[in-house]
Amino acid sequence: MQSIPNKQPLNGGRRPSATLLRANQLKKSYGSFEAVTGVDFDLEENSYVTLLGPSGCGKTTILRMVAGFETVTSGELELSGQSLVNVLPNERPINTVFQNYALFPHMSVAENVAFGLAYGQFSKDEIAQKTHAALELVQMSAMADRRPRQLSGGQQQRIAFARAVVNEPKILLLDEPLSALDRRLRKDMQIELKDLQQRLGMAFLHVTHDQEEAFALSDKIIVMNKGRIEQQGTPAQIYRQPANAYVADFIGGANRIAGRMSEVANGVGVIETGLGKYRAKCAKGLSAGAPAVLCLRPEQLCPTQADGLELQVTHTIFQGADWIVEARARDDTTVTYLAPKSRLPLIGETVAVGFDAETAWIAANPHEGAA
Amino acid sequence: MSRTAIGNWLAAPIVAAIATICLAPLAILFLFSFFSVDFVNIVKEPTFKNYWTIASSSTYRGLIAQAFLSALVVVCITGVIGHPVAYFIAKRVKSAKSAFLVLLLVPLYTGDLVRIFAWRVLLGTEGALNTLLLWVGVIDVPIEALLFSPLATHVVLVYNFLPFMVLGLWLSYESLDDHLLEAAGDLGASGMSAFRRVTFPLTAPGLIAGGLMVFVMAVGEYLTPQLVGGASGITIISAINDLFGTAFDWPLGSAIAWTMLAILGFFFAASAVVLGRTNWARAVVGGE
Repeated sequence: MQSIPNKQPLNGGRRPSATLLRANQLKKSYGSFEAVTGVDFDLEENSYVTLLGPSGCGKTTILRMVAGFETVTSGELELSGQSLVNVLPNERPINTVFQNYALFPHMSVAENVAFGLAYGQFSKDEIAQKTHAALELVQMSAMADRRPRQLSGGQQQRIAFARAVVNEPKILLLDEPLSALDRRLRKDMQIELKDLQQRLGMAFLHVTHDQEEAFALSDKIIVMNKGRIEQQGTPAQIYRQPANAYVADFIGGANRIAGRMSEVANGVGVIETGLGKYRAKCAKGLSAGAPAVLCLRPEQLCPTQADGLELQVTHTIFQGADWIVEARARDDTTVTYLAPKSRLPLIGETVAVGFDAETAWIAANPHEGAA
Repeated sequence: MSRTAIGNWLAAPIVAAIATICLAPLAILFLFSFFSVDFVNIVKEPTFKNYWTIASSSTYRGLIAQAFLSALVVVCITGVIGHPVAYFIAKRVKSAKSAFLVLLLVPLYTGDLVRIFAWRVLLGTEGALNTLLLWVGVIDVPIEALLFSPLATHVVLVYNFLPFMVLGLWLSYESLDDHLLEAAGDLGASGMSAFRRVTFPLTAPGLIAGGLMVFVMAVGEYLTPQLVGGASGITIISAINDLFGTAFDWPLGSAIAWTMLAILGFFFAASAVVLGRTNWARAVVGGE
């Protein structure tokens, strides 16, 4: 892993606070197709917020409405209390890092970065100085006279970033900025992006379909599906307490045992499944009789002697420190858990795994009929 | 035989065809331009007399300058009209794109004469435009200057050559990435500013390609000025025609033709330099 440059954060380590951008029942339709179906979310000052979802879920449409490239069909979009709905893109204090970078091919790197400064009240010296500082920020000063096509993908990405932040926008929008980079470079850039966001003290709204990226970067993740917001919260909330089966599935890795709630009280419920009754903390809005899923992360499960889930092992997969054990329960639900080499079961063997009810989680399962 | 040798032999017929069809007549004209005329005989003794005649005659100089200036005006007007048309076809038309391109080219399938006479019908003293203006009451007597004037010539030339300009620009607009225009707006550029700083330089290769086509055709245009130009219909091309025909001065006609060709060559070279040397064009066309 790359070491994080040891620099003092410019914002003095301030935590996210006041609301900067507010979407209220924000909606976008194309004819009869609703790309975004009335969503509510806030973007706080100095926070890193990620819109996470599969392609076609409406996350890019939201970003484009914030940038001003798409009109708002209905609902409200406010920046510091002022409506953005009828403000042209060039009049919004918002800048975008485009997915394909969209660098101007006929301009040098420095000219690209200075492009937006021409519209501010800056002297020539100030423009040169700001351009230099922005290139310095992304460690690309040496490339100032190159053309975009002479740069690698990662370098172009840095220039696109510098070109946007040099204008000191209130919000920086990032449209899948790392998707064109290879895996290793992507990891490095994640660390760097997070570091830059903290140092600049700027609000970032980042669109991605990669949950690892969202977890690595975000103060808040907004999980989207089919133009709706499924859940918004901190990475830990999304990971440990998925609101519903969709989120649990999309975030990946969670074992889901479907059932129905039999009792709910004070955030704790009992779910009746084909494998038995389990008591655990549960998502808001669940009531007795509602379809639900018991979510168990592989790392929450461990082999036990008594009173566990009985499983038959189907696969074992080597994964570095631990092995992933894939097994089948009585009702054919597939369950995975982690086992050290010393306790690796044989394929076909019957094992029992247990979990701590304190860490287990029951999520809603609204799409039960469809799924 | 090596592959290269076979390739060379296969190319030979084309080279021969170009040499005989294209270069030979030009070479003959070039030779003639150094001869002179003695009553009805062509004197085959080399002389620069013809070129001196052109250089010292204000009539010829004026006609040559007029031909190029007028072509330049036509290029500029087609460029100004062509930009929005090309933008519209490339970026706004979704499903019926080929229909628009066919519509653009349909007039070219009709003959030159038909199109020119159509404009005579539109612009004449009893034409559609004058009748309309009379009917509306803007004018009391028909405007005669609508037809048989430099204005009429230029209107018809712009109409005739616009498709070539639009085609050149359209190709450039097709390859222009929409995200670049969004990026310009995102960074604070208004519509006009984005056009000036991003769209115009990135579509310049199309403008130059379309412009050169229009320029060459406008310089060499003969029929239009004759038929709708009236007294202004005398052009350097009609002068060449007269010299080869009634005046029977082939050497002088050849010399004028070659002078025109040399000037055109200069314009082409200048365009090539612009395309090859300037930063923006190099970034767009490629190569470093």
